[in-house]
Amino acid sequence: MARIIGGIGTSHVPTIAVAYDKGKQNEPAWAPLFEGYKPVAAWLAEKQADVLVFFYNDHCTTFFFDMYPTFALGVGERFPIADEGAGLRNLPPIRGNVDFQAHIAECLVNDEFDLTVFQNKPIDHGCASPLPLLWPHQPDWPGAVVPIAINVLQYPLPTARRCYRLGQAVRRAVESYPEDLKVVVVGTGGLSHQIHGERTGFNNTEWDMEFLRLLEEDPEALMRMKHADYVRLGGAESVEQIMWLAMRGALGTGPLRKLHQNYYLATTTAMTVVLYEEAAPAAVRSELAAMAAS
Amino acid sequence: MNPQLEGIETIPGTYPFDIRTANRTLNINRFFWNMISAEWRARFIEDEEGTMEAAGLTEEEKKLVRARDWLGLVKHGVNFFVLEKFGRVVHKTNLEIYAIMRGETFEEFMKTRRVPDAR
Repeated sequence: MARIIGGIGTSHVPTIAVAYDKGKQNEPAWAPLFEGYKPVAAWLAEKQADVLVFFYNDHCTTFFFDMYPTFALGVGERFPIADEGAGLRNLPPIRGNVDFQAHIAECLVNDEFDLTVFQNKPIDHGCASPLPLLWPHQPDWPGAVVPIAINVLQYPLPTARRCYRLGQAVRRAVESYPEDLKVVVVGTGGLSHQIHGERTGFNNTEWDMEFLRLLEEDPEALMRMKHADYVRLGGAESVEQIMWLAMRGALGTGPLRKLHQNYYLATTTAMTVVLYEEAAPAAVRSELAAMAAS
Repeated sequence: MNPQLEGIETIPGTYPFDIRTANRTLNINRFFWNMISAEWRARFIEDEEGTMEAAGLTEEEKKLVRARDWLGLVKHGVNFFVLEKFGRVVHKTNLEIYAIMRGETFEEFMKTRRVPDAR
């Protein structure tokens, strides 16, 4: 059976990709960002994760507003990394796993998440910016990605609660796959930032810390919040943090153990990476529950 | 009214992009979206006016593009994520565009940041 072995929350700022491609990993202004990802990359390598399920958003690259899906899942053995106006990046195409991706899509639709399926499309920085900081890519990526795109660009967006429930449905889907795959769920975006209008440059570190606390301890409080609340507290584009709730929903309802956190607000986006495991593996918990019941 | 956006109008300097906006500004958003194509970029650099005409931009929209009026384009209803693609084509970084939207010079803007060297 496939199972979820952990969750990662990460920013997906395009600047990370630009700095990565220009080899700025050791520059004083950038090292605190790249160093902060190393423990997460080491954990992924140690655990030998087979699949990353990415809850990310397209930035009007793969899709245009003439047909913009609320939820879309990618199926394919390979996804090219998108040209977003500056040409192509020197990275191998993202790897997929058609049978697993198709299984997730089938389960989600049967679970009443009627999402769009896309194939043979390039994927932009929403997924590709943090990916090389998590996984090596020479000569190739060590595993497959299940890309799940969430509309956070064009209102109406799915609610925070809906994103959490999507994560719960993804968990059910993963756990119904017969092959032994080790799956890590990744929620991308944020934290606080605004990058349009006169309010550009808005940040709120106090709120960022509170968001991280609530995500771990009280996700229900985040699910009750409206999009306008996210915009007010964290800046307009920080509303994308609802994608972290999908990751949280996929981690189950038990307590989490936070293994690592890095927060680096250099210019306009609070670049953050957090790694969680479930405090007690699901199998142990169900054994404990069975013992308590008998 | 989208109930999830209740009260958003009280947040200054913020222009939520919704279906109604996209319906009004689909052509100019597509014009910028097309910048993901190397062919369209080359065509734009060769003939800016011709590409704007082909994309069906209004006279007001053409003026905003000619002026590189980043804030004006956002207020008109261009989504920032297609606008940043245009930024790459005309060699403006996002940080430079942010400074302009705030009405600051680039150096002034970077001084307001925690790590002014991160660029």
